Amino acid sequence: MGMVTKRLNAFFETQVSIAPLILFRMVWGSLLFISTLRFIVKGWVHTMYIQPKIFFPFYGFEWVKPLGSVGMYLVFALLLLTSLCILLGYFYRYASLLFFLLFTYVELIDKTNYLNHYYFVSLVSFIFLFLPANKNFSLDVRYRGVTELAQVPRFYEWLIKAQLFTVYLFAGIAKVNTDWLLDAQPLKIWLPAFSHWPLIGQYMESDWVAYLFSWFGCLYDLCIGFLLFYSRTTKWAYLIVLVFHLFTALFFNIGMFPYIMIGATLIFMPLSFHQKGLQYLASIFKISTPLAAKPLSVVPSKHWVIFILFFGVQLVLPFRYLLYPGKLFWTEQGYRFSWRVMLMEKAGTAFFFVKDSRTGKSIEIDNKNYLTYMQEKQMAMQPDMLLNYAHFLKKEFEKKGFVNPKVSTQCYVTLNGRPSRLLVNDTVDLSVQSNSFLKNKWWILPY
Amino acid sequence: MTMKKVILINVLFIFTILSCGPKDKKQLEPNTEPFNKAGLLENITYNLIIPSYQNLSNALDSLNTSYNAFKLNPTLTAFQTLKTDFNLAYQVYHQISPFEFGPAEQEVVRMNFNVFPTDTVQIKNNILNGSYNLSAISNIDAKGFPALDFLFYGHSKTETQLVQSFINSTAQTNYVSDLINEMRSKVISILNTWRNTYRATFVNSLGTDVGSSIGFLVNQLNYELDYLKNAKIGIPLGKKSLDVPLPQKCEAYYGQQSVSYALATLNAIESIYLGRGANGNNGLGFDDYLDHLKANHTNGTLNAAINAQFAIARTKLNAINGNLANQITANPTLVNTAYVELVKLLVLLKTDMPSHLGVIITYQDGDGD
Repeated sequence: MGMVTKRLNAFFETQVSIAPLILFRMVWGSLLFISTLRFIVKGWVHTMYIQPKIFFPFYGFEWVKPLGSVGMYLVFALLLLTSLCILLGYFYRYASLLFFLLFTYVELIDKTNYLNHYYFVSLVSFIFLFLPANKNFSLDVRYRGVTELAQVPRFYEWLIKAQLFTVYLFAGIAKVNTDWLLDAQPLKIWLPAFSHWPLIGQYMESDWVAYLFSWFGCLYDLCIGFLLFYSRTTKWAYLIVLVFHLFTALFFNIGMFPYIMIGATLIFMPLSFHQKGLQYLASIFKISTPLAAKPLSVVPSKHWVIFILFFGVQLVLPFRYLLYPGKLFWTEQGYRFSWRVMLMEKAGTAFFFVKDSRTGKSIEIDNKNYLTYMQEKQMAMQPDMLLNYAHFLKKEFEKKGFVNPKVSTQCYVTLNGRPSRLLVNDTVDLSVQSNSFLKNKWWILPY
Repeated sequence: MTMKKVILINVLFIFTILSCGPKDKKQLEPNTEPFNKAGLLENITYNLIIPSYQNLSNALDSLNTSYNAFKLNPTLTAFQTLKTDFNLAYQVYHQISPFEFGPAEQEVVRMNFNVFPTDTVQIKNNILNGSYNLSAISNIDAKGFPALDFLFYGHSKTETQLVQSFINSTAQTNYVSDLINEMRSKVISILNTWRNTYRATFVNSLGTDVGSSIGFLVNQLNYELDYLKNAKIGIPLGKKSLDVPLPQKCEAYYGQQSVSYALATLNAIESIYLGRGANGNNGLGFDDYLDHLKANHTNGTLNAAINAQFAIARTKLNAINGNLANQITANPTLVNTAYVELVKLLVLLKTDMPSHLGVIITYQDGDGD
């Protein structure tokens, strides 16, 4: 045991070139900057964080509230500024901390907008707090007297690699299910939408193409992490990464995710790639001796503790669904934060009713009065969001003078092309049910 | 097995699949011809949308003609002809109401043509003042068909009294002319845009994402059905008012055509679904699309389930039989039965159908993952 720890320690403490970290900092900073700018330009700050009348908080984070128009745009302006600082390595520590806090804050406001790749950005931004990625080729070194380093412990580069490996592996494991592998769902539904494309369009309605894409997608996710790590296959693996993600970018409405993965997986490329990259940049910006030799550093033990916990939690989270009864895709208990990416075609329609306990009369709610289209669409298929909305409606109608309002819903959901049916028991008063993840949502109907 | 072997097997697997796929394409021919989406859009454009706007334009012209005749010679007979033409135009309007995208979205047709209940006080004030800006937001509920419905049928007034009100007031006569002409010019403008430029734009947008033609059709078809269920039936029935019926909220309240227009709306939605042209011929539609994709439902195909539900909803709406404003109090169960069937139809069209077509039901742009 002691032997293993010692060898592991020796491996991760080995001093390696800082070049991959530097290049990663620049790629990542650019990606953050572009993503944030795109988000603002598309008007999503308004439609997602200013326009909605109510928000769907994560359990335990109900205290996280949006800041209003000026506040939210200020937050996004700061995200732009800090991503630029990360890119240039200027006030790097403060910028990383501020970016991580602000980005995570924005994601916690409303789970309507939850995307796995936002979760990924939050996690990598957290790793950035600990990376010595400003110790070379940075404005911090040039103007702020930060000690220049040429080599750092392998530990830091591997944090990024381990994070990417985790994403791919779990995305692969999530695809090992009967719908995906045996029925080629949801691709069998999604691909025919492209049947009008030239050349490949004619194959998009063929079942074998849906199976091919499903099986390849699953194997890709399961294997690509290993192939990237293994030095002899790295370059080929990166080529597959490129093709795979460009394909998904072409087919699906998934925004920046493919580009983020294409950019991030560059970290696996051989050292010579990173060195050439930096030399090229040095020649453009006329910087001499970009990788001057300077003192070595070691990994503080607290970093070990933090990241063993960090990855430990990530390894456990995707399996928490096993603690709940019922079918995961249907109940979505333990669905998020598990790298379940593009995994199902699910849609619903929810009719809500609020009953006045004194008269026994009820009214039907027009969801459009309270929710944006995006919120209604997400709410109508996710039990925990149905519950958030029911709790909101109870308060809203208490204000309107209803006596002990009871809230129920007829929510019809279709999953991977199967006939729609009721998602939750339509006689249950949802407004008094607990949204705690510690309790099973018994009122979800079996699937 | 060593790590190396595991990796090697994985690599081989991937490359086998990679290399198999394209090579075998010659043997693995496509199962069927892909669905002719362009054909569906062409059918709906040339046989349904453009002829329907033409029909509405003609109907509004007839309305205008009979109104001018009535102005010249305000007899009871001329007034009755006018009302017949008005009902016809209003009826035809429901066929184009679901096409609120492209040129119709520019003209905000639903808001300009059919906001009900109409604001009778605002109408009276406009006529009294003699000056008004019909494009002002404050006038959206004082114009269009509902305003004409009020002026032509009035409230507790006899036909003779109504005719007299036109004879007595030039301001009222002019107001009605302005309302008719506003609708005529908007419909002509929309029709021209469809004929000149938009038809090509529409027919060539073959995706299913937000802003694609199929996306527009599916979204608007559902918007219209939601509007039928809520505004035309649910709200008058008391679904949003603790079961207290609200007769004044009925569409065409004064002319008492609510049920007939509800059926017209249902037909309009069904026409889009079936790809049924204005002349009644059934062409390529979403029914064919769903069958092509072999979309199934609980018993049989999804298309069969949707068709059956259209039929049931129609039967139940027909069964209301009479004036909706009376039936919501006299026979609420009858109206509620129709409402329940419309809800079932909405679930099929809003949840099951788009899910099979890969259409995103939203008007809002955003990323997925």
